[in-house]
Amino acid sequence: MHARIRLTAEDKAVNAIVMIVSVLALLATFYPIYYLLIYSLNDPIDAAGGGLYWYPRKFTLENFGYVFKSDQLLHSFLVTVARTLLGTAAGVLFTATAAYALSKERLRFRKAYSIIGLITMYFSGGLIPNYLLYQKLQLLNTFWVYIIPALFSIYNALLFMAFFRQMPAELEESAKVDGAGDFYIFARIILPLSKPVLATVALFVAVNHWNDWFSSAYYVSNQNLWTMPTIIVRMLSDNSIMDNMKNMSPGMRMDPLSTLQAIKYATLIVTILPITIVYPFIQRYFVQGMMVGAIKA
Amino acid sequence: MQTFKSQMALQLMILPCMLFLLIFAYVPIAGNVIAFQEFNLSAGFFHSRFIGLANFSEMFADPSFYMAMKNTVILSLLNMLIVFPAPLLFALIINEIPFLRFKKLVQTSSYLPNFISFAMVASMWIFLLDPKGMVNQSLLLLHLVKHPIEFWTEPGLFRPLSVVIGIWKGVGWGAIIYLAAISGINPDLYEAAKMDGAGRIKRIVHITLPNLIPLFSILFILNIGTLFSGNLDQSVLLGNSFNKETSYVIEYYSLQMGLELTRYSYATAVSFFQSVMAVLLVLIANWFSGKASGNRLF
Repeated sequence: MHARIRLTAEDKAVNAIVMIVSVLALLATFYPIYYLLIYSLNDPIDAAGGGLYWYPRKFTLENFGYVFKSDQLLHSFLVTVARTLLGTAAGVLFTATAAYALSKERLRFRKAYSIIGLITMYFSGGLIPNYLLYQKLQLLNTFWVYIIPALFSIYNALLFMAFFRQMPAELEESAKVDGAGDFYIFARIILPLSKPVLATVALFVAVNHWNDWFSSAYYVSNQNLWTMPTIIVRMLSDNSIMDNMKNMSPGMRMDPLSTLQAIKYATLIVTILPITIVYPFIQRYFVQGMMVGAIKA
Repeated sequence: MQTFKSQMALQLMILPCMLFLLIFAYVPIAGNVIAFQEFNLSAGFFHSRFIGLANFSEMFADPSFYMAMKNTVILSLLNMLIVFPAPLLFALIINEIPFLRFKKLVQTSSYLPNFISFAMVASMWIFLLDPKGMVNQSLLLLHLVKHPIEFWTEPGLFRPLSVVIGIWKGVGWGAIIYLAAISGINPDLYEAAKMDGAGRIKRIVHITLPNLIPLFSILFILNIGTLFSGNLDQSVLLGNSFNKETSYVIEYYSLQMGLELTRYSYATAVSFFQSVMAVLLVLIANWFSGKASGNRLF
């Protein structure tokens, strides 16, 4: 925008409305999370008295102490991290490899392959057939049910293809002259030059793995394999689990109900905070990627 | 065949993907056949008895099905009319922010809720809207209410809450695509309009908005397919036995029938009906949009 000499009354009115709405939007995004944070950093009985809005009144780390004593939560955190790392690496490589082959005009049966892929954008099997399939393949109740069904995504394949197609053909041709095969060219020349699209797709896939609560809740009954979102849902709705957590500590509180509430808030903060802290550093990749995707679409 | 052999490496790169799609996409699609069977695990797909449309007629006779269907459609309509256009409006607002750095700040922070699992988002709002939670405390303090509002046990409040939480989680992320489209609008258009004396609002209404409508229509058509589905997250995570009459949706119904009561055939019939309706709706919307405005998907 270039400098304006003076603002009309209309400009000022629009600016004022826009600023008010955006400040409210900022508050609405962060304040709920901030509120949980100060509540969980406050003494539970004092907090239950109300009036806690801006900063912890009686600061304590006790609530977080209870949370970190729970093995289950830590375990589910590790499962979620493992699933996100492995699932993202495997999914991105698998999808990129297929998309590279599909992006080559000279690929025989390319049309047929594309149609096979595109049909799956509009039709899907539905929950029960998927469930029965995983059962047949003995994927249920294993860690692999998180990884294998999420290996390929047609949407991400389209993103990759758009990127691969705009790479200069000379790259491939000169490597061919030197006697390199297709696989070598893909792994050693194309992939290292595709970092922007790799980063973008990796982040999309990672967010899906990180956020997914469904597969853990319905395909896995072994509690040791539950991911964090699933544990959260179970823990927060089932007071007995929380009670156990509280009773493990010798310093029993006078008011079990308000302590319970503060522990719940603290649990939620522990699960939300990592992504909130990491987020400012990774968000620019998301934005780039969404822009690429949006323009292509 | 000559070319096929000479590109063995390329073919080997696509082969795993085709096998994957065959197993994880096409086998489940074919698996919908059990909707017409009396499926049992020991007999399998091939030897279970066919019972025609019996599952479907049972479905249409079940009052729970209608309740779930009604809730699904109402929630979807609310989503289409309020949650879905909200990002467009939000993008228009962000685009008008006069200070560049503040604009970036608002934009990037509005994506944050998209990166929090719905499981956490739901728990957070259940806490905040609890009778003893932050919202009720504030309302009591400001003397806006005499007694705490029972947000989660009052069936009439589930739909508005579902809409509000849907917007909270998705509005920023949904706006990205519109902001990308806005950045693609030719700046000369704005200059020309300014010369002709068009003010800010006129420029928004006559340049920015019309340039976003084709994109909006495409997204809207894609979205129409979800009329008879969706909102499983809200239903499972925000629903409870008190607000069930408004929160129970069709996918939850199918889920409970299938996985809790292990009535696989019946549950598949329910979801099969849903996907057929979805495909039909997209085709109709696509045809209609092509007739009306020339914006077609395929």
